[in-house]
Amino acid sequence: MDLKLTLAISTGKIISFLNKLSGSGATAAPGLYALKIDPDLVKKLSSNNNLKSIVVSGTNGKTTTSRLIFEIIKSKQKIIHNRAGSNLLRGVASTLINNSSILGKVNADIAIWEADEAALLPISKDIKIDTLVLLNLFRDQLDRYGEIDTTRKKWIEVVTNLPKTSMLILNSDDPSTNYLAKFTKAKKIFFGVEADKINLPQIENVADVKYCINCSAKLIYQTLYSAHLGKYSCPNCDFGRTTPKIKATNLTFNHNFSTAATITFNDHQLTTDYNLPGLYNVYNVLAATSVATTYKVEDDQIKKAVNSFSAVFGRFQKATLNGCQITTFLIKNPAGANEVIRTIAIRPNLNILAILNDNIADGRDVSWIWDTNWEAFKGAQINVSGTRAHDLALRLKYAGIETKNVDVDIKSALATSTNSKSLIILPTYTAMLELQNYQGGGESKWHKQ
Amino acid sequence: MAQTMKLTICHLYSDLMDTYGDRGNIIAIQKRCEWRGINVNIKQISIGDPLSTLHFDFDLFFFGGGQDQAQGIVGSDLKKKAAPLKKAVENGAVMLSICGGYQLLQNYFITKDSKKIPGIGIFNAHTEASESRFMNNLQVELNPMLEKQVQSAYQSNNLTMYQPNLIGFENHSGKTYLEKGTEPLGKVIRGNGNNGEDKTEGAIYKNAFGCYLHGSLLPKNPLFADFLITKALEKKYGSVRLELLDDTLEWQAHNRAIKTS
Repeated sequence: MDLKLTLAISTGKIISFLNKLSGSGATAAPGLYALKIDPDLVKKLSSNNNLKSIVVSGTNGKTTTSRLIFEIIKSKQKIIHNRAGSNLLRGVASTLINNSSILGKVNADIAIWEADEAALLPISKDIKIDTLVLLNLFRDQLDRYGEIDTTRKKWIEVVTNLPKTSMLILNSDDPSTNYLAKFTKAKKIFFGVEADKINLPQIENVADVKYCINCSAKLIYQTLYSAHLGKYSCPNCDFGRTTPKIKATNLTFNHNFSTAATITFNDHQLTTDYNLPGLYNVYNVLAATSVATTYKVEDDQIKKAVNSFSAVFGRFQKATLNGCQITTFLIKNPAGANEVIRTIAIRPNLNILAILNDNIADGRDVSWIWDTNWEAFKGAQINVSGTRAHDLALRLKYAGIETKNVDVDIKSALATSTNSKSLIILPTYTAMLELQNYQGGGESKWHKQ
Repeated sequence: MAQTMKLTICHLYSDLMDTYGDRGNIIAIQKRCEWRGINVNIKQISIGDPLSTLHFDFDLFFFGGGQDQAQGIVGSDLKKKAAPLKKAVENGAVMLSICGGYQLLQNYFITKDSKKIPGIGIFNAHTEASESRFMNNLQVELNPMLEKQVQSAYQSNNLTMYQPNLIGFENHSGKTYLEKGTEPLGKVIRGNGNNGEDKTEGAIYKNAFGCYLHGSLLPKNPLFADFLITKALEKKYGSVRLELLDDTLEWQAHNRAIKTS
């Protein structure tokens, strides 16, 4: 018996139990303290139980993609998933502890791990990766993650260490993820969008990759879908977009925020019609479908799971408050926010509450709002809130949009803004957590780290 | 009828040095001019653009911050454009440079592996890479040399809210040291500034200014935005008094940023 491991698991379980009693949602705490007792806890539990892992990382779409994968493959496998927890190593540890016996027996075949992009490297060292999904890489909370070059370097190390039996699933439309292919011995699947034009408002967007990652020549884009995602090639070296094996065509974005798309792989063709908005979710669906194909899930099951998928907490969440229908879209970085904005802007009579906080989990630096194209909201009614409400009001002023109400207090801003039939809320991370307290959301303590 | 004034801006390497929301500075200058009926023309000049593009008579240059890879690509192209840029500054053109842009305009940069990369030497200063990174709100009291000019250029309905300081967000691992005779843009009140040691932030040479203030800087520091616009116009039009604007929201954002830091 491994005494250290048993002590760590027991301690984790006790903290987890106390958390439940007190209603605390600090899901990272059991893992955090257990890792202090046995830093190898994740490594031991993974290898002792021969646990296969599907790991999902990327700047945007991790949570939705992980949940989609879970829904698609759950009928085939016994799965554990850090769905309600932190996506750092401690969150992985917490999930393992909660699903383990005191002696370290984990009752599952597969683990789905959503991994923070900076935490992917340490997590990858402690688990056996069966499948790694890398969605995209955008500038995000530069005060937390540093530059995207730094994150890409960490990812190169991760894919270099993948064994050749594992599967690496990459977004071929993002040069940053596509570029990783050459560093790995693993098997590879590429996914991407095949379209000449995206049927959403064009908005000016910041691109994090404009020059070849290989040779620094300016990349040529045949089609640009969003930020730096599209069909690109380098005029100077052989770097360019890999033709995706799993692709989406015939994209239709509806006013009610549902989407229709045809997903093609090998000689299979799935016509999907699902309840998630925007181009960014097309990528999430493609990534999840890619995983499904490696687990030999039948087409009908993939289609059923995608079409019946309901939103993930805060990402596209619907609620009703004071008779007002609320739809919430988390915004946290320019690429994600720009996609959300162009998705919403197709709707008429917009009533919006945008909330900008500058807590550590949001990023203390709010300058990203200047890389975001609020100009697309011209004509909309907008209120702003959050610790940096005035910065956002100022951004809107310089976008030619007058803010109706500037209120640092989120609760009272919400009360003012729900005085209408419908409302779209765009909160940053901690603002989203706070909102759950006023909307009666069930998972208000998600991802507390 | 008074002559319509025109301001011609050169946005240097806008496609590469665009990481930290510095685009907001261009938006701020553009809007604050448009609101006053001043015509604005913005030209973007980047990698491979011929030198002749810089012979154009620009009133104001803006050079923002970028990521390391971008800064490397820009650095080698900038060498080819050094002469016309230096000449423009010598002739009194206004230049605002931030973070990576500011570093590239100094004498040299020493990388982590002790390589010395020459800059174009507009500012008599240099930067050394360091292991730590300064990521904080940064509040700066304007250099008294500059403060009077800034105050007299700044025209707003809200002079009661006026404060002679700048607020922004710094995010840099390079430490900048001013060399002999170089005046800082200001004194650090909160944050680290040039190097976290000597309380200086930024640099001034003629009408060229360098600093580490992202945020974006100019929208919530309208005093500095109007000062730069005035300086740039005065080069062409002699003494300029800008029309009044209502900057209540600008100062609220300014004060809120100070309060939460």
